[in-house]
Amino acid sequence: MKTDIQIFHDKLEGRPQPDWSDAGAGAWVEFRGTVRGTENNQPICALEYEAYEPMAVDMLEKLARQSCLDSGCSHFLAWHRVGVVPVGDAAVILKCGAPHRQQAFACVSNFLERLKQDVPIWKVRALPAKEPSQIIGS
Amino acid sequence: MRILFFSQARLAAGQGEVEWILDKPLSVQAFWERLIAQFPQLAPYRAMTRLARNGQYVTSDTCFENSDEIALIPPVSGG
Repeated sequence: MKTDIQIFHDKLEGRPQPDWSDAGAGAWVEFRGTVRGTENNQPICALEYEAYEPMAVDMLEKLARQSCLDSGCSHFLAWHRVGVVPVGDAAVILKCGAPHRQQAFACVSNFLERLKQDVPIWKVRALPAKEPSQIIGS
Repeated sequence: MRILFFSQARLAAGQGEVEWILDKPLSVQAFWERLIAQFPQLAPYRAMTRLARNGQYVTSDTCFENSDEIALIPPVSGG
């Protein structure tokens, strides 16, 4: 099993991902969770995330491995961004490789459910659309 | 003992962490009683907040030592 689990303080998109092209997996599922333009029906320009990083990385690694074992998957990438994440940017990127598509879809779905229940990462505030000057690191 | 506050707990406590010096181990119950005595504004968060000891969620029979790092984990919202 191969994993790549990281928390970043700046943009996830465009970062080089591991070369798993020789994996032999027949199905790859990629998920990108992005910041929506509204929060509680109010327009926003960004969400701010924080994490208890050592515990979050450790839990993400364990969840990735357990989700892969449960679903029969061979590869899992999980990147989460913290700090101020502008609307449209990814807060989380996942990539899962498996022998067959059903396994990869199930693995990503299970991982996300567990992430949202247990991993110490929080949306701490939404920045109203009138405060774009506070966006940094985008 | 180092105690870390995150998210709503950090906002309520008004700080990100606090240090205690323990002369004997603390039960989970005793920890909360001492914490709320120092930060009464955290009382409403007790029922919804999990504790982690050195990066692992605790159970009700966990004991805390002076060398531990304890984190207050309010309901999470990552992803």
